[in-house]
Amino acid sequence: MNKKQSLLFSLVRGTAAILIALLVTTLLIFICADAPDGASLGAAISAKLTQTGGALHQLLIGPAFRSNGSISAKNLSDILAAMIPTIFTGLATCVMFSANQFNLGAEGGIMLGAFVGALGAIYLRLPAGILPVVCVLIAAAAVGAMMLIPAVLKAKLGVSEMVNSLMLNYVVMYFIKYLLNTHLADKSKGQVQSYPFQADAAIPQLVDNGSKLSWGFIVALVFVVLTALFMYRTRWGYAIRMIGINQDFAMYSGMKVGGIVILSQVLGGVLAGMGGGIEMLGRYTAFSWSALPGYGWTGITVAILAGNNPAFVPFAAFFMAYLDKGCNLMSTYSGIPAQLIDIIQALIFLFFAAEQFLSRYRQKLVVRNTQAELKSKAAQTEGSVK
Amino acid sequence: MLLQRIFTTDFFFSILRITAPILFATLGAVIGEKAGISNIGLEGIMMISALFGSLTAYWTGSWAAGVLLALIVGVIVSLLMGFFSFNLKTDIILTGVAVNMIGSGGTLFLVKVITQVTEGTALASTTSLITKSVQVPSVNIPLLKEIPILGDILSGHSVLTYLAFLLVYLTWVMLYKTPLGLNIRSVGENPNAAASVGVSVLRVKYIAIGLSGAMAGLGGAYMSMYYAMGWSQDMVAGRGFIALAAQAMGAGEPLGSMLAALVFGLAQALGIKVSSLGADSNLVSPIPYLVTILGLVVFALVGAAAPGSGTPPPRFRPPR
Repeated sequence: MNKKQSLLFSLVRGTAAILIALLVTTLLIFICADAPDGASLGAAISAKLTQTGGALHQLLIGPAFRSNGSISAKNLSDILAAMIPTIFTGLATCVMFSANQFNLGAEGGIMLGAFVGALGAIYLRLPAGILPVVCVLIAAAAVGAMMLIPAVLKAKLGVSEMVNSLMLNYVVMYFIKYLLNTHLADKSKGQVQSYPFQADAAIPQLVDNGSKLSWGFIVALVFVVLTALFMYRTRWGYAIRMIGINQDFAMYSGMKVGGIVILSQVLGGVLAGMGGGIEMLGRYTAFSWSALPGYGWTGITVAILAGNNPAFVPFAAFFMAYLDKGCNLMSTYSGIPAQLIDIIQALIFLFFAAEQFLSRYRQKLVVRNTQAELKSKAAQTEGSVK
Repeated sequence: MLLQRIFTTDFFFSILRITAPILFATLGAVIGEKAGISNIGLEGIMMISALFGSLTAYWTGSWAAGVLLALIVGVIVSLLMGFFSFNLKTDIILTGVAVNMIGSGGTLFLVKVITQVTEGTALASTTSLITKSVQVPSVNIPLLKEIPILGDILSGHSVLTYLAFLLVYLTWVMLYKTPLGLNIRSVGENPNAAASVGVSVLRVKYIAIGLSGAMAGLGGAYMSMYYAMGWSQDMVAGRGFIALAAQAMGAGEPLGSMLAALVFGLAQALGIKVSSLGADSNLVSPIPYLVTILGLVVFALVGAAAPGSGTPPPRFRPPR
């Protein structure tokens, strides 16, 4: 298959995966729509259909357009703001998965990053311009250090980084909850939260409409570029991708596999931690997370949608944020629970990651291509004979 | 004496009670891993089965129907995982992640839809639906219960608790004494060799993942119909993941993995006991997870120190 066809195939495949997911979604919405009591079957079905249509409209069109058809700037900036943490977890997952390291610690990583960033914002005494930068950097360093645990254990002892990182997520969560409940709690508040951040620590907003779209968004995009350059233009990035493709080959060609295994996971941790710090300082004025935020899992979906290529991460993150916003609007206006997003996400995820999904179509493309090539070759030889 | 206050017969009783759901999932992990399948969806399957089990028990008024449906749901979900993983070639670990997503958020969606709890009201759950009458019953074992200390510890558990420990033996018999077990092990060790002697690799894998899902389904039923009264959000709390660690520490053998599961049960029971004596629960709750990490490290160190006697590291193949 040539490049154009390969691209076409990926497009068709992606669209098909999304369509299947939306079809199932429609079916689910239809099932949960209420029919008026005592209505005849026909009336009930038509009532359900109208409701389904309304809900779908909210889900798919709602995030971008107002009911009068004009573009909703507020909703769009909400979506862009929601992309900030998932871009970072998506990048983190891309780096780790590229090296074949199945580290699922971005979830705990972003929570620890947010917490460490918050601590800096409360207790560090630094000049205004420097404070948020330092907070984000220590957040990144802390999570990078946390990832050393599964990384070193994997590289030196062959312990599954997957199980370890999953366990670490829980340890991190309880550790933070403990500190938040005891030593760091602001007892003057009704709910469990830390003392408020210093005003200087806040990351400035890009637009001031309450969407919390901060400069963190620009930083996230910069890191998309940096990560993409790192992965495809440096020898470290090459080494990471190489051990992901064939670890034995990389080892026999002289690469230090252990070091790269550690590097990839620590880098993933740094990215996740940075995302946590930026999300915390850009959106909140005190730390009050009492559970894992779920950004790590969305990050995995983002990485899968992006095919582990950092350059595609913002698009995948936009797509997921758009759907999430749509689900929230839908639950507000039509009473369909917003957790529908998890089912949609899982379905898209499954079909995207399925290597054999639509493989027959791919086969057809290859065959057609080869036949065309053979024909043109035959025509050429015929021409040269004549 | 502090030790006397901790190590009561109640405490040892609670170890078995806490271990049982981990044990179900661990057996699921053992069977899967023997066939070369890393089933990280156990966590999600337990959540989904727990939900449908408790709902069925409420609707039918029969705990047995609830348990049976939880088991069936576990099998269905795992077979779907199998379809995506074996037929559509989605990486098995990613398939598991997807199932876990549905297990954590999708179940909450279903609860809200089914019980008509709308957004804004307190957390949706089925805790009000499971009452004593549809809880999995406890049984006193006639002669055993008369023995002074052992009786207090070993008797009076739920039917499912005894089933969990019985299944350890049955799993061992299945794996090592039946043709099916031989097929499962050969498919796990070398699928090409198995295929070359006429074993249908695909069929055996489907059976293995189905059995694995059945175990997780029972674990889910245990969680929502005995351990807690009804389903609530994130109630499985990583037990499916701990099971993977128990499988690795037990070198993939039913008996060894059961011992590892008991260690986790002990850690958690100890945590609950210590927090009931006044320690901060947020300090105590992470103990099982920390023990899991430590356990894996110790296991790897012991395995590395004694070459040949140790088993190869767990086969977690990350996606390409």
